[in-house]
Amino acid sequence: MIKVLFFGAAADRAGTRETELDVRDGATLAEIWPLIVERYAELAPMRDTLAFAVNSEYARGNDAVSHGDEVALLPPVSGG
Amino acid sequence: MFAIVEGPIDVGALISGAQRPDCGAVATFVGTTRVDESDGASVEHLEYEAYRPMADRKLEEIGAEIEARWDVRHVTIAHRLGRVDPGEASVAIVVASPRRGPAFEASRYAIERIKEIVPIWKREIWSDGYIWVGSQVDTRP
Repeated sequence: MIKVLFFGAAADRAGTRETELDVRDGATLAEIWPLIVERYAELAPMRDTLAFAVNSEYARGNDAVSHGDEVALLPPVSGG
Repeated sequence: MFAIVEGPIDVGALISGAQRPDCGAVATFVGTTRVDESDGASVEHLEYEAYRPMADRKLEEIGAEIEARWDVRHVTIAHRLGRVDPGEASVAIVVASPRRGPAFEASRYAIERIKEIVPIWKREIWSDGYIWVGSQVDTRP
């Protein structure tokens, strides 16, 4: 299991801030994305704008996750 | 000092806290909530949210980047979360340096980096809907 967090416009589109996903150890973010979209179809159009974080650090599509990891979907940041 | 806060930012206190005898310059940048208008509607307030503690850590990283690049002796960044009303400070950056050049440059660098790497998001609440700034997600007509 991994925990998936949604922020900003992604939380808005998904209609939730947090979920859990059953993925195999070593699955990459690129492999996990379709599972997320399967559950939250409204997120699909955001793919190209989203960044990922794993355990609070920016990560790329070919980075892998393990059981217990926290994956965050980060829309373009807009602080300031 | 790097702080993500729910309440108002006391900019004066941050500036006072940056003044030191070995520094001849304190540069301050304050980002404030602007009321945009379009199509007969206007922004009523902003709402900020953050991914913590990642956002806190990214602010500290920006501080470390600044200290590696410039001779600065004090860096403070404070960013608000939650509702921020028009004209209020949403972010304040205060940098003290022996000379003015590094103070100006480092404070500019800090706000640009915040807008690049710190996981904070802004939602404009308009009189006729809302907009997630930077994402094409909104409820305005």
